[in-house]
Amino acid sequence: MILNELAIVESTENIAANTFQTFLKSPKLAASMKPGQFINILPSENWDKMMRRPMSVASQKDGVISIIYKVVGQGTQLMQNWSVGDTVDLIGPLGNYWDGYTDKLSILIGGGVGIAPILNLTNHLDDLGENKVLIMGARNSSEHFIEHNPEYGIYMTTDDGSLGIHGNVLDPLKLALENIDFQNVKIFACGPPAMMEAVRQFSIRQNIECDLALETLMACGFGICQGCTVEFEKKQEIREHTYRNRYGLVCMDGPIFESKEIKSCHL
Amino acid sequence: MSSIKFGNVNFSSSILVASGTYGYGHETASMIDVNGIGGIVTKSVTRHPREGNPPPRIAETSSGMLNSIGLANVGVEEYCKSKLPYLNELNTKIIINIAGTAVEDYVETLQILEAAGGKHVGYEINISCPNVKEGGMSFGVSAQMTESLTAELRKCTSKLLIMKLSPNVTSIEDIALGAENGGADAVSAINTLVGMGIDIKTRKMKINTTFAGLSGPAIKPVALANVYKVFKAVKIPIIGLGGISCVEDVIEFILAGADLVQIGTLNYREPGISIRLAQELDQYCKDHNLSSIHDLKGLVEHH
Repeated sequence: MILNELAIVESTENIAANTFQTFLKSPKLAASMKPGQFINILPSENWDKMMRRPMSVASQKDGVISIIYKVVGQGTQLMQNWSVGDTVDLIGPLGNYWDGYTDKLSILIGGGVGIAPILNLTNHLDDLGENKVLIMGARNSSEHFIEHNPEYGIYMTTDDGSLGIHGNVLDPLKLALENIDFQNVKIFACGPPAMMEAVRQFSIRQNIECDLALETLMACGFGICQGCTVEFEKKQEIREHTYRNRYGLVCMDGPIFESKEIKSCHL
Repeated sequence: MSSIKFGNVNFSSSILVASGTYGYGHETASMIDVNGIGGIVTKSVTRHPREGNPPPRIAETSSGMLNSIGLANVGVEEYCKSKLPYLNELNTKIIINIAGTAVEDYVETLQILEAAGGKHVGYEINISCPNVKEGGMSFGVSAQMTESLTAELRKCTSKLLIMKLSPNVTSIEDIALGAENGGADAVSAINTLVGMGIDIKTRKMKINTTFAGLSGPAIKPVALANVYKVFKAVKIPIIGLGGISCVEDVIEFILAGADLVQIGTLNYREPGISIRLAQELDQYCKDHNLSSIHDLKGLVEHH
């Protein structure tokens, strides 16, 4: 059930270069959100923009949820400036959630804006005691906040080689897949469109099960505006909120889609 | 108070939600009491289903947004089957927005809806969608075509018949007169303005279809001017819309000549805004000893 909750800012931490994690006291959302779902945030009561900012939740525990964001525009700047005790208007839980992560070896791939839902699933798998591989991609070391630890299946990559593996997320993915039956693996990915599209095409070529959490502009987040469309690879059955069968809505059919289900991650 | 009798219909508040910005009414039901809304104008329905336009369909602008959804909808038969039953259970007033490409499309769609026997109180006729080549815009720019379409539809229903006017015309007064002469109960003004945006990083159009509809507070002064022009031109009631975001905006539209208003783009940001503004409008009436907000209709004074 979608809720509109006024959350209270508990704390904000600077976790990497220009990247922040804010914890919000939001008991109803914390109790009902699942890893992979998102909320739609009104950064300020008074701002002149029309659209809330949709963001994946990085954690939901003990009445508190958290979001992770890079300060790139007016909305995220307002968020970074939130003071402890400020009230923030949230709508959620929105969208579908990760599933199928206990059946096979999970390989989690995150990058850029896509680290929140991947971290959420990482922690959830840790809580469940499930084995996993975690791969995080970034341009350089300043964007990373997790230790590169291949022994434990944790790989950091950088475009400039300043930390971990010099390259992109496909390099450690190929390493992690060595000597494994691909049928026993499932990939979960969220990140910049180019990264996700590379992972999507790789997974299709190798016939590996792969779920991708997409990000796009949304006006509402709950199926009304019909603005956040993604084109399906094959026409689907008509669903209540999508009206038709060629385009899906990232907010209601997603944000998580199977790699074979969609035409592209470039929206 | 802000309630109003409009034709034979009593609206519990003067603030409705605009077509395309509130789906079919069920989407926000877990967040707000939709029966507290003065009325819901449902997403445009067409004779046959429409896929809508390819993405990207929306973009943010200064105090507004661009959209080019392309009238994506299930088509009128599916609408009657899967949308009307829920709408029939609501106590708020339902107005069904109809879009089409030819007179027969509009007439058939309306006849199918009439035969379905829903509780809806009227129809808003979209003759002004800027986002599809055949979106009725040829009707919306011609007073004569507006009049004949209105007259054809008038023959088919005794429910409220509201023609939705476009600002993208030379003379909105002439189109409004066409609607009035054709027998419309009211006009709503305005639909979105034609706009465009460019992503300077990719050098691509921000919207797939190049041109899109601009909405939000950015267009409020344009909407207000058009409502006033229409008020000066016709005697039938006017539903004002275009960028309304606060109670002061609502009062401005009424002073300019509107009887009812619709909230559009702001619904996305605050799904319950129409209920909040209705309460604030009632408070305004109390504070100013007005028995009805409608006493202010068209009372704007000149310098």
